[in-house]
Amino acid sequence: MIDSARLPGALLLAALALLAGNTAHAEQKVLRFAFRSVETGFDPQRVDDLYSSAVNNEIFEPLLEFDYFARPVRLAPLAAESVPEPEEGGSVYTFRIRRGVYFSDDPAFRGQRRELTARDAAYAIKRLRDPRNRAPYGWLVQDALVGLDELHDEALESGRFDYDRPIAGIEVVDRYTLRLRLKQPDYNFLYRFTMPQTAPVAREVIETYAEDTMAHPVGTGPFRLAEWTRRQKIVLERNPSYRGRTLDTTWADPGDPEHRRVIADLRGKLLPQLDRVEIYPMDASQPRFLAFMNGEHDLIQEVPVTFINQVAPGGRLLPSLEARGIRMQRVVPPEITYYSFNMEHPVIGGYTPEKVALRRALVLAHDVDSEIAVLYKGQGQLAYGPVPPGVVGYDPDFRHHEQDYDPARAVALLDLYGWVDHDGDGWRDRPDGQPLVIDYLHSTGATAREAAGLWEKSMRRIGIRLVARGVQFSDQLRDRKAGKYMIAAAAWAADWPDAQNFLALLYGPNAPELNDNRFRLEAYDRLYERAAMMPDSPERNRLYREMSRLAIAYAPWRLSEYLVWTHLSYPWVLGYLKHPIYHTRLEYLDVDVATRAAAQAR
Amino acid sequence: MGAYLARRLWQMVPTLAGVIALVFVLFNWVGGDPALILAGKVPDPAQIENIRRQLGIDQPWWVQLWIFVQQVFTFDFGRSWSTNQLVSDVILSRLGPTLTIMVPMLLLETLLAVTLALLVAWVRGSLTDRVVMVVTTVAMSISFLVYIIVFQWLFGYRLAWFPVQGWSEDLWTNLVKFAPLPVLLGVFVSLAPSLRLYRSFFLDEIGHDYVRTARAKGLSERRVMLRHVLRNALIPILTYVGIGLPSLFVGSFLLEMFFSIPGLGREVIDSVNRSDFPVIKAITVYLAVLTMLVNLLVDVLYHYADPRVKLR
Repeated sequence: MIDSARLPGALLLAALALLAGNTAHAEQKVLRFAFRSVETGFDPQRVDDLYSSAVNNEIFEPLLEFDYFARPVRLAPLAAESVPEPEEGGSVYTFRIRRGVYFSDDPAFRGQRRELTARDAAYAIKRLRDPRNRAPYGWLVQDALVGLDELHDEALESGRFDYDRPIAGIEVVDRYTLRLRLKQPDYNFLYRFTMPQTAPVAREVIETYAEDTMAHPVGTGPFRLAEWTRRQKIVLERNPSYRGRTLDTTWADPGDPEHRRVIADLRGKLLPQLDRVEIYPMDASQPRFLAFMNGEHDLIQEVPVTFINQVAPGGRLLPSLEARGIRMQRVVPPEITYYSFNMEHPVIGGYTPEKVALRRALVLAHDVDSEIAVLYKGQGQLAYGPVPPGVVGYDPDFRHHEQDYDPARAVALLDLYGWVDHDGDGWRDRPDGQPLVIDYLHSTGATAREAAGLWEKSMRRIGIRLVARGVQFSDQLRDRKAGKYMIAAAAWAADWPDAQNFLALLYGPNAPELNDNRFRLEAYDRLYERAAMMPDSPERNRLYREMSRLAIAYAPWRLSEYLVWTHLSYPWVLGYLKHPIYHTRLEYLDVDVATRAAAQAR
Repeated sequence: MGAYLARRLWQMVPTLAGVIALVFVLFNWVGGDPALILAGKVPDPAQIENIRRQLGIDQPWWVQLWIFVQQVFTFDFGRSWSTNQLVSDVILSRLGPTLTIMVPMLLLETLLAVTLALLVAWVRGSLTDRVVMVVTTVAMSISFLVYIIVFQWLFGYRLAWFPVQGWSEDLWTNLVKFAPLPVLLGVFVSLAPSLRLYRSFFLDEIGHDYVRTARAKGLSERRVMLRHVLRNALIPILTYVGIGLPSLFVGSFLLEMFFSIPGLGREVIDSVNRSDFPVIKAITVYLAVLTMLVNLLVDVLYHYADPRVKLR
């Protein structure tokens, strides 16, 4: 009890404490923004959607990361001490785990601080091949590490994955050393270790939460999950166990004003600076846009195309928004959108001159200019090759006219190879006189329907009958994998920023899973195999270029565009630099609460 | 009454069996393959086979049907295929937000529609009546989506009377802060068709002999409308409201999507997009059962609204 003489003092202290608490609360650095879609959960080895992975990237630490500044992107160590050098011709990689890295506190650790070790990294890799996990990114290590596939196959038989059995491909050398041995050399293998799917996890946490690991992420990263209302609100808070780090400017470009701004924003600060991050998954684009415009949210990534002309017509930020201090960044992400031709289809597939001519004519006749201008409101660049900008192996000088919109050339090609109207019904027929009807497969959704309409219109213009078939996404996947289509809309986002990740889509032995248009060209496959055995070099880039040239010549795809995404942030958001690979890097963000308060007061 | 209820409940069994059969056929033969969605962006046949085995969709159809029947009767639909959350948790956690929007919406809409319809019927044929009919016709011809987009932009962003979107864990905060705009929107949109329908119910009643008799007896117009016409029109109104009651528990997916309300409507759409069959099956069956129970409740209420109706 407090005696009466001390009561005024105690009250004063209590009032001060309350005031201090309120002040501390008021000065909390909170960042709010929205995701374009919903998340599924936060078990890094069990999810594959972009938004769950984005959160996992803040909670967990993969062994490696991409440097914040370097363009094209560049590997840097994260939970590992350094980026491993390839050994034995790219067949062995030895990771040294950073010492003194701790998982955030969790009841699974029974009150002990839990240090990250090589065993955690090995355990995460094995989880990717445990059949019980149905890991959608299991393919990252499938057919790659010596002995892992055998472990997987035995688990399929026995129903139990033996995590404790040592295998040659995953060797825990000591507490901080992990050695990985590949079945064959792969110089791109390290990219896999930037992905949250390979991030180390603590086995005791996974075993404690068993079926509920999606809701109990425990990592070593800068943030931890504080609240989660599924598909509604995700709240991250600063992880008190995180070691903290400062901005590494080694790869910053002093000539880039955005880089200079970020360096000025974060100079001398121990990261992360944010206390709390609130993320709101929103399927609809209007509320996401309006929530940013009225200041409920601090930044908006990937401004919906529908609203682009309200903020940046012609790619220039509106003066009214500039006056509010809003900053704009426009980034071409490493992804491609394309239309896949089924190379095994008796009409559209094949490698004979008339089949190649038909596909090339379809490419030339498809009005890609309207697609960019109307469907994407100008937010796209014509794609010249299967390798998009920003990835290793991209060649900015790879230019040609084979992907242009040129219906006159299309008509000439069709006429030359006999794809003409034989029966006088106004539609072109096959060279043998059979009717020519193109089946176009697309998923349901407004943009997909508009794209289908554009295809119909483009084909009608050159006298080809095209029937669009809109189906559920899962049905589209099924038909593509089963080869039941002629043309199908498709897209691919980089798993890692190397041309190989895109060129693999046309590698013959990858058919039909990855290469679902079943392109099989001996010359292409040999080039791919040679490139896969080589480290990054001008010689490998030359092979990549040659493969792109073959892809354009045989036209297994109609490349459409490299999309350009616009990202906006308020002036109180510090350190924000849109990374082409990561959705966000919250560790590098800060909020100037005084500037925000002043803006809100106005 | 007891015998009537027992008989009606017994009659639900074949209906439920039909629902189970229909849902099973739709999902197993018409729906897409969930294994393809869950297998990720590079699905290899072994992975797809493994997923099918784990989900039990590689079993013969009669085994799958038996499991489904068991799930319906034990109220245990297992876990969501996409989030691994218990389906019962999914439904229970989504029900609250949906009801927070839909119950006030139904109450307000019914109250307003009945009142306005009665007033309009009272002055039938007048300029007011004609103007209301034209306005409601125009209002009904505009898409719900347009209302949402305009209301959200105008009242949420431009005038800033309400938050553009959002939801909290606190019921009171939701009721006073986040629910008003979607509720008003829902009321505004559903008011026009209800008003027109209820007006026709009232006009039907006004044309009956008992109304003429009541007037001939010298009853005031107010008494005629409120005591006689309103009471007799309640039966079709109850039927109409009753038909709409199950939708209370499903919510409006458009409202929930645009206002970031974590309700069942949004859950259904997300589940369909992800081929998350356990969640969709559970919601479909639970909605069917609810519809049957609400129909029964409405039939019982007839008796209280009009004692001439006998429950046999």
